[in-house]
Amino acid sequence: MFKYIVRRILNLIPVLLIISILIFGIIKMAPGDPLSTRLDPTSTAEQRAAEREKLGLNDPVPLQYWKWLTKSIRGDFGESTMYRRPVKDVVPKFIWNTFLLNVVVYIIAFLISIPIGIVCAVKQYSKTDNFWTVFSIIGISMPSFFFGLLLIYFFSVKQNWFPINGMVTPGKNAVGWARVTDILHHMVLPAIVLTIGSMASLVRYTRTSMLEVINQDYIRTARSKGLKEKVVIYKHAFRNALIPIVTIIGFTIPGLFSGAVILETVFVWPGIGNVMMESITARDYNMMMALNMFFALLTLLGNLLADIGYALVDPRIKVD
Amino acid sequence: MKRKLSLILSLVLVLTLVMTGCGKSEEPKPANGGDEKTEESAGDANNPAKGRDGAEDTLVIGTHETKGEFLPGYYSETYDGYVVDLVFDGLITNDKEGNPIPLAAKDWEVSDDHLTYTFNLRDDIKFSDGEPLTAEDVEFTYTFICDPNYDGPRTSAVADLEGYEEYNKGDAEKVSGIEVIDDHTIAFKFTKALSTNIWNFGHGIMPKHVYEFEKGDIDAIKAKMTEPMGSGPFIFEKYEPKQYVEFKANEDYFLGSPKFSKLILKFTNVETQFSELEKGTVDIQLSVAAKGENKEILDGMDFVNIVEYPENSYGYIGFNMRDPRLADKRVRQALTYGFNRDQFAEVYYQGFAQTCNVPISQVSWAYTDEINEYKYDPDKAMKLLDEAGWKVGKDGIREKDGKKLEFVWSTHTDSKYVETMIPMLKSDWEKIGVKVEADIMEFAALSEKVYEKQEFDLYNMAWSLSVDPDAYEIFHSSQDQKGGYNSVGFKNEENDKLLEQGREEFDQEKRAEIYKKWSQVINEELPYMFLTQANRWDVANKRVKNFETSPFQDIQDRDVILNIELE
Repeated sequence: MFKYIVRRILNLIPVLLIISILIFGIIKMAPGDPLSTRLDPTSTAEQRAAEREKLGLNDPVPLQYWKWLTKSIRGDFGESTMYRRPVKDVVPKFIWNTFLLNVVVYIIAFLISIPIGIVCAVKQYSKTDNFWTVFSIIGISMPSFFFGLLLIYFFSVKQNWFPINGMVTPGKNAVGWARVTDILHHMVLPAIVLTIGSMASLVRYTRTSMLEVINQDYIRTARSKGLKEKVVIYKHAFRNALIPIVTIIGFTIPGLFSGAVILETVFVWPGIGNVMMESITARDYNMMMALNMFFALLTLLGNLLADIGYALVDPRIKVD
Repeated sequence: MKRKLSLILSLVLVLTLVMTGCGKSEEPKPANGGDEKTEESAGDANNPAKGRDGAEDTLVIGTHETKGEFLPGYYSETYDGYVVDLVFDGLITNDKEGNPIPLAAKDWEVSDDHLTYTFNLRDDIKFSDGEPLTAEDVEFTYTFICDPNYDGPRTSAVADLEGYEEYNKGDAEKVSGIEVIDDHTIAFKFTKALSTNIWNFGHGIMPKHVYEFEKGDIDAIKAKMTEPMGSGPFIFEKYEPKQYVEFKANEDYFLGSPKFSKLILKFTNVETQFSELEKGTVDIQLSVAAKGENKEILDGMDFVNIVEYPENSYGYIGFNMRDPRLADKRVRQALTYGFNRDQFAEVYYQGFAQTCNVPISQVSWAYTDEINEYKYDPDKAMKLLDEAGWKVGKDGIREKDGKKLEFVWSTHTDSKYVETMIPMLKSDWEKIGVKVEADIMEFAALSEKVYEKQEFDLYNMAWSLSVDPDAYEIFHSSQDQKGGYNSVGFKNEENDKLLEQGREEFDQEKRAEIYKKWSQVINEELPYMFLTQANRWDVANKRVKNFETSPFQDIQDRDVILNIELE
């Protein structure tokens, strides 16, 4: 097992290298550069040309890539042209904010959705099942900005239950426990929107996966030898139904860190989603590269975790 | 310094934010909420902002988010500019009419050859750590922009100073054009006598003892980018990226203490600004898009006032004059006569905008209305095209010498402004025998196509208007080069001569005469089809007293912010 993990991690290196070449190439192929979105007629054409030279935008693309690569390996991701500060100074805070919100959302979503999915599978086509089916469809199809605005209108503007947006109360400068509760208070509405969105698909996954298992022969055998229904479902069926769910958990690792642009806009949540979008519009190459590589790495690690997870829950899979 | 560089505000902002502004989302809540509010509230008693915690001495201003570029030498967007201007004082600022007036300087003298500016500083200014502001600080502020490693957007403020090259490219230890005479006197010597040079002195003065650095060590200054410290009316307290900036009043401010003790710039967007106003979590919301649908929402809140004035920016369609079809002035005029701009302004802004015909603000001393208004007149347009030899062909499109009046209009995505204009322009021009197709691309792509490659027939963008009417960098023929802003290839001797004269003349009345003539040339030649100049709305809760912004005086202006009183 240990050998397997080491081998997989070593494999990541060439994969990441190829990904970085692809991303760099694609980013550079897009027309425009950081200066083309910042039109400033107080500067002269010569000054702008000098700035391009300073940013190394006139170098051949392979050379630019080489410069980026050699620096990044040493942990220097360059300066963001959009923020005029080193990428590694700007980004962590936004990623942390996104992570904070997503962790809460995923934990709640998993805790609620998996039991619901099981119940729906066990009582297939019952009223409960139908209710959650409808709920899932609504949850998946409701645009998050609309749902978000509705929540804000009813629970913040009409009823003064929650702050209308932001992550902390401006000017309150709370510290310690007060800050935690302040953030939690601000988190409720965006968390509801995100939870319902991700619950919907999780419920469907669990239900399907559970149904597949329930209809297997060994479940019938378990029932026929007189085991209690509870034992059948939670001990025999559920463990096997978990296998596909492990895949989903693997995929959620990068999801934990990736922001939701629209939600961040509606709730003014200072996450990474909008930064990512803005970096594309502003052609902030260093920022785009750093973020994309970060997400690529997370995705690869997520896959690795899922594979390890398989080995743990499914004795048929041997990794060596 | 917002003044000279006010043209800055890149189109990304003007277009995607202001103009597309409200189109993007439905605003289900305020629209409904507004109606109900009218019935239940009688104004003052229900003013939600009054019940906010600590509201009596805290002003919350809703604005677009800042990037955290809080240094006079570095910020590039208006919003970061608010923070910079609240924290730092420039030597000069401007009054309501756009004239330079003293701020940190008591007064200044300009030498007879107009090359040397000598500033006498006030001796009662202290930075917020108690240290006095002296000529050394001013010297430092300008020297750091001359640094060889400086990579911010303010180079043009110092590039014409004597000794700039020697310091920037060579190993000079000082910029010879910056001379400290005594603690409170400093002289600047330029290599060119331009009347626009005065605007280089709006630049916020940074305390040398806080930011001090060795020549070349620009990173030491940038490291302090998000913790600005200056002498301004507000003291920077806290910056929460993408959320808000917090200040406290500088009670020892040399023009008098602000009349409230705390100021918060809270970041809002078109999705959130109305609920913020309605809930009273912001007291002032800057730059609400002036449109009929927004008016309805605001009318529903009887505890807010709208301060309305013409925005300092205009939209335009640029004609590529390298194209022989568009090189003919009559064609450009015909295309302008042939588009019902008033109707567009009515449809898009519901009347809260004017069509514009010259690139000078209507409130400027340089503005003239002795110009052609190009009122919609398809007959005149057709007559002009006939005169120019363009005859209607079989397919209804005019042609001449085998060429057709058929254009590709390069434009950008994410803009309701553009989306509204496309069908209107198409159908209006079709009536005069001109065909146009819109080619929509992302803004950065458009910008490259227009400025770097100069490959287009027509394109549209917007410019902000500066306090000074000078537009040399946009319209002078020397700027018709790859990467230059005269991307339409406008070459006109009269225009060049007037733009040069305008910068070289120091007497304002004579300058006004020059810009009047220049306006008439631009208005006749039409390198651009000028489109609209929208209104700007700053919406304030009624508890905010004496709040009055105007085209040249935004919220951070001393005349505006120091006057505000809270109820």
